[in-house]
Amino acid sequence: MAKTSPAGDASTNEADPITKAALDLIQRELPDAVVASESGGKHPWIRVKPESLRAVARLVRDDEGLAMDCCHLVSGVDWQADDELEAVYHLCSYAKKPDAEYRKRTPKNDPWLCIKVRVPRGAPDVPTVMDIWTGADWHERETFDLVGIRFTGRKELRRILLPEDWPGHPLRKDWVTPATYHGVPIVPPEGL
Amino acid sequence: MPDDLYLDPELQQSVILTKVDWLKDWGRRNALWPMAFGLACCAMEMMATAATKYDLDRFGAGVFRASPRQSDLMIVAGTVTHKMAPRVRRLYDQMPDPKYVIAMGACTVGGGPYVKYGYHVVQGVDLVVPVDIYLPGCPPRPEALIDAIRKLQFRIAERGGGTLTQIDPRPALASGVA
Repeated sequence: MAKTSPAGDASTNEADPITKAALDLIQRELPDAVVASESGGKHPWIRVKPESLRAVARLVRDDEGLAMDCCHLVSGVDWQADDELEAVYHLCSYAKKPDAEYRKRTPKNDPWLCIKVRVPRGAPDVPTVMDIWTGADWHERETFDLVGIRFTGRKELRRILLPEDWPGHPLRKDWVTPATYHGVPIVPPEGL
Repeated sequence: MPDDLYLDPELQQSVILTKVDWLKDWGRRNALWPMAFGLACCAMEMMATAATKYDLDRFGAGVFRASPRQSDLMIVAGTVTHKMAPRVRRLYDQMPDPKYVIAMGACTVGGGPYVKYGYHVVQGVDLVVPVDIYLPGCPPRPEALIDAIRKLQFRIAERGGGTLTQIDPRPALASGVA
């Protein structure tokens, strides 16, 4: 494989200390929550069960060593072949950011943590984390809007980017572009 | 006014004969009031055009109004999404006649870079409102917007029966920044 960047290459194979610490913590406190994980590589992550997502979220937020106080991003992935949808939470810590010792432990010099949850496409219900990180509100609405993951237990879950009466969720792999929307064509002209 | 021996010389200095249509369009083209209305990045260039350096007021089109009821020019500056399209149409319907539309930028002219994969972008604002002047560019520079406004003024003048020299006797100004 071609070497892309020296910094990225050096950190590819060693385990990410933050993810490793979080994994140890979750496995100690909630032994059956973790489904799979990858603590090495360029993008380490931990996949948990949907029903234990909220407990895991509280755990990594309230733990003094991790202090993941910011939900930076919620996004969705459509795994059509597995008939599953995935919600991806990118977390970071503002409390720990000024801490030079803490930052030294992370390869990218940034305290990041990635939590994933998979649900079946037929019943894509994921419990909300909006009461844990208020900033997740709009991200959850966007993920619902474009991928169609239903976040349960929160206030109104309505579309945020597309019009209210938009057909379907466009970032799903099986979404078919309608010919028109309210009489205005959507499908690109011939020859493009 | 032709010299007429039987007319009072005072009157010859104070009366101009013209066509009413031409006079009305003279007023319209030299006092275009655009709507303060921007959808995306093209609006930045529109603001720059109205600001000090390019000074759209030189052409009588710098009075941006915050209400469609007070404006007669809609510069659609930016990507029109399917969500925004009914709002654009509604603003257009609220403008009093006569009204003019400039489609500013590649997105507004024909969907721009979103035309193939952007399911959310209207493929040209002319599907929603009638367009007088198409102004391509991504985004167009302020000089280009000034040129589009000048072309609209020419068009208004031609409709009223005027000629280009009557509109702008100073060709240096018509070509852009002085």
